[in-house]
Amino acid sequence: MKDTEARLAMLARSGDRSAFASLVDLYKDKMYHLAYRMLGSSHEAEDIAQETFLRVYTNLDRYDENQKFSTWIYRIATNLCIDRLRKRKASYSLDAEMPDGEGADWYSLLPSDQPTPEEEILLSETQEHIRKAIDTLPEKYKSVVILRYLQDMSLQEIGDVLDMPVTTVKTRVHRGREFLRKKLHSEYGGKIF
Amino acid sequence: MNRREQPEERRGYPMNCEEALPLMHEYLDGNTEGREAAELKRHLLQCPECNRIFRELEMTEALVKSCPKLAAPSDFTDRFMQNLPVRPKRQPWFSWVKRHPAVSVASVFLLVMLGSFLSMWSQDQELTVKGNNLDQLVIEDNTVYLPKGHRVQGNLMVRGGNVQVDGEIDGNLVVVDGKYHTASTANISGKIYSINQAAEWLVYQVKEIFSPAVQ
Repeated sequence: MKDTEARLAMLARSGDRSAFASLVDLYKDKMYHLAYRMLGSSHEAEDIAQETFLRVYTNLDRYDENQKFSTWIYRIATNLCIDRLRKRKASYSLDAEMPDGEGADWYSLLPSDQPTPEEEILLSETQEHIRKAIDTLPEKYKSVVILRYLQDMSLQEIGDVLDMPVTTVKTRVHRGREFLRKKLHSEYGGKIF
Repeated sequence: MNRREQPEERRGYPMNCEEALPLMHEYLDGNTEGREAAELKRHLLQCPECNRIFRELEMTEALVKSCPKLAAPSDFTDRFMQNLPVRPKRQPWFSWVKRHPAVSVASVFLLVMLGSFLSMWSQDQELTVKGNNLDQLVIEDNTVYLPKGHRVQGNLMVRGGNVQVDGEIDGNLVVVDGKYHTASTANISGKIYSINQAAEWLVYQVKEIFSPAVQ
């Protein structure tokens, strides 16, 4: 049984642009939200969302229609985010050798530290604390926590997306949860709990 | 599984804090069964520290879940679709070509080679005679005749016609797309090549390139 999204993907593969536009419409908010939580910047979130759809588009021929479309697109988006996080980490490290062009990349990351006015209005103080705590999550817990709580995925789905056993996903959810609790406890203690 | 069995074995003993923490996570995952949940509850009532941790975990989870869902800019789809290149029609062989670049290049090269040979082959089907002192030959309609006592020095090539050799050839006789006949008086010092098919023509061309002996 093919779901609607898989069918849209098949139509898009045969050249139907409006079918692809429907897929973009269906997933743009999810991808944007995922990337925003992973990277903490609206600018980068839009970048990743666009890159995700572009990769989906150019790789439609490789999409296996028996696989859930959502698993496929989430895998592409999470991998892009993880790559971006690693690149960022490497460029922040003083020891890391900077290949050509990497310097420009580092600068482009700078403005992302300041939330846009829109974000400032949206976030209450507590939510801001949470956002910061999520930002500090180690990468391997971060993707799992975000997929679990902000994309409402089951452990099984997360395992499919990240290509890892459910037991590993579970352990990471537990450790991520514990990490966040300790972080919020030590930094904001009585203010939150 | 092992961990789940533990409380059963230790039934009657109070749960310790080390056991409680993973169970709290299981509980928050929605995976604890009635008895486990009851034991956890009993422990949490007795242990203020675990109680605090559990409340903090619950709170953390609730707070993370309550993060506002952000939406992409409203014109995202329009902007994206405008910049999207037109998708080329799907060509099944194209992905194959992508996966086997070396084989693809080789086959394109072979095709071009073959094409050029074949075009040489079918360039003209009129009678063509190549060789030195052609004045020794008599050409009538479609037949090239080398009379007795006449002599061609070097190779003689006839294409698109028949050959009758009664005289001498100081070299090879090459007949392409035609028949040949040699009389008893004929004397051909080289070899006789009779080529009637494109493939043979190709082999002959290759031979001519690589072996100067044919010249």
